[in-house]
Amino acid sequence: MALPLPPGLTPPEIAFICEMELVTIIPRQRLEGLELLGGPLKPLNPPQRASLPLWLALLLKRQRRANIIPPPWLSPDSLAAILQFETESSPDAFSPPPRLPPPPSSTTIPLSSPFLPSSTADAPADALPYHWLELGSMLLEAAPDDFDDADEVRKLLRGLREARMAKLRQGVEVLDAGGGFKMNGVGGMELGEARSFITGVVDGLRKIGKSREEARRERERENGYSPSQNYEDDEMDMR
Amino acid sequence: MDIDDLLAEVAVDTTPQETRDLQALTRAWVAERVAPEMLAWPGSLMERVLERVRRQIELVEDQTGSMDPKTNFKLIVIQTELERFKFLVRSFLRSRLRKIDAHPLHILALHTDADEMHPLLSPAEHQYLTSHQTLLSTHYASSFLSQFPSSLQRLDDTTGGISMVDKPDEDAAVFVRVLRDVGEVAVEGTEKRFEMKRGDVWKMYDITPGVAGSDRWARDEGQNAVHSGERTK
Amino acid sequence: MYGEIGNKLVQHAKRTQSLAHLPPYQTELVRAVTREVRDLDKDVATILEPFAGSFNPSAEPATACALLVNHLCMRRDKRCLLAYHRTRTDKLEEMCWSGIDVLERQQQQSQKGAGEGSGAAMGADGTGSSLSPEEEEYVRQYSDLLASYKGQWTDIDLTGSLEPPKDLFIDVRVLKDAGEIQTEYGAITLTKNSQFYVRQGDVERLIAQGYLQRLS
Repeated sequence: MALPLPPGLTPPEIAFICEMELVTIIPRQRLEGLELLGGPLKPLNPPQRASLPLWLALLLKRQRRANIIPPPWLSPDSLAAILQFETESSPDAFSPPPRLPPPPSSTTIPLSSPFLPSSTADAPADALPYHWLELGSMLLEAAPDDFDDADEVRKLLRGLREARMAKLRQGVEVLDAGGGFKMNGVGGMELGEARSFITGVVDGLRKIGKSREEARRERERENGYSPSQNYEDDEMDMR
Repeated sequence: MDIDDLLAEVAVDTTPQETRDLQALTRAWVAERVAPEMLAWPGSLMERVLERVRRQIELVEDQTGSMDPKTNFKLIVIQTELERFKFLVRSFLRSRLRKIDAHPLHILALHTDADEMHPLLSPAEHQYLTSHQTLLSTHYASSFLSQFPSSLQRLDDTTGGISMVDKPDEDAAVFVRVLRDVGEVAVEGTEKRFEMKRGDVWKMYDITPGVAGSDRWARDEGQNAVHSGERTK
Repeated sequence: MYGEIGNKLVQHAKRTQSLAHLPPYQTELVRAVTREVRDLDKDVATILEPFAGSFNPSAEPATACALLVNHLCMRRDKRCLLAYHRTRTDKLEEMCWSGIDVLERQQQQSQKGAGEGSGAAMGADGTGSSLSPEEEEYVRQYSDLLASYKGQWTDIDLTGSLEPPKDLFIDVRVLKDAGEIQTEYGAITLTKNSQFYVRQGDVERLIAQGYLQRLS
């Protein structure tokens, strides 16, 4: 098999996508401009701030060539307010995602995460972006010294994760809604973790519904003998 | 809708072509990884990306061996990024190969029906598919099929209620992100209607047959693109 | 009961999916199912013979039903055979993708089997290979196909890792003198207690051998 991976993105793949998010750094050393495959990198001149992809920011940080400015939503005050909203004001739904920039002209394909600047130093402080969990964890691991209070941030992230996990689990009841359901505010890693479960339940229900429907049609056909149906039902999945 | 067409339309945008190609490649990769069915081959995007990868590899080879620490660090950055691109392209190509291997006859039929300007498969993929099918047919024939009555020897036989052609589950539930307001969406066989707005994340299924697999919806997990109706061809 | 042997093949196939290796090819079962199909086909011909090409199903419902059952059994058998062979070729292809030399491994296994004189590694046909001759040919051909497809993508190394790249470069400390090593950036002299930022692939062996320690 050319690709021995389960359907859906794996957690390392979701983290890989998150590493394309732009973050803001303060360089500590000069770096000449570079022609990268994903576009030109402007020269880095300390202490001028620059926005660049997380993978590069982490590389510079590990080499002690830069400090990373955590996005505003990753501050204790913001996280505490969002956590309060998640647990008290909105015990059933996720807190709303960041507001989108104005839509582009009708001919342009709109950008989406990880290419929306939702984790730079001037990102909104009041909402969790799509990659909140993985971005927060990576920054805490690689750059704890760039936070004012890394322990508090860590604690609040854990609280948010637990509160939201509980909501995802509760949401199972709505899975039989038929047609689809909205999951606004859900995060990338959260979706990745819940995906196989949700998809399993939904597809299971869909197949049960389908066979129920087929059985009904079968009964309606008075003398119509259609043996193929039974055959397909017990066909093993041998793809 | 082809990603390349969309890119062509955003020429006025100030974002560099390289950056837009990375965005398009990422979207294409995620969509291919999570969609049950095969998506169209983004030909010119892949040509540009592969050409840049080739040039970057040459650059690394030229500068390797320099012991100047400055050049050295630049190379570390370039190589780290290069490995990321190589992974994206590799995982993308292999996701497609897996589908080609799983549903060859189904995909070949779709490819044959596709518009020449927007082929489903790249020439190399098409070549791989047909060669692989020939190998399999020869293998089945020499292992057992040649001893069958001639009426039963075909591999694309779908009569008699037992199809020999496997298809992907095109109605499988998918996650989509709405990139543009879609308006109302009807659920087949029910009175249900959804209003789908830009920025929404939906888990969808049972939306009129094949719509999940049609070009109205380009999906990429939670960041699925959903184009509004008039954007389709 | 028609279809029973076919089911056995499918059970073999299902089991094969979860095995790391490829169990012996079921030559006898494959032959038996194929024989069953030919017998069923003969039955059909015999049943139809008296009608001399003018069979009318609605006039002869009982005969029509018998014919239908025969046809379904043949198709079922065919599907089972296809599934069995396809599961095995999938497995063989997977080995090709992960760089395993299937044929060489087969040879070693059969030599080992012959040397010990045990039946454990023996194929159903007693030759000691778990591949049928047709499968061996298939592996040869598929390896060639894979090589030629891969050859069109040398820059991105199609059979490379499917895990996203992480920590391509790492910090290491030298635990014991290891002399000079060649890296992509030229030679580095590894003297005890020095530290380097190097490509992980260049030093993996030295880490495993205890010369270097990875710093987090």
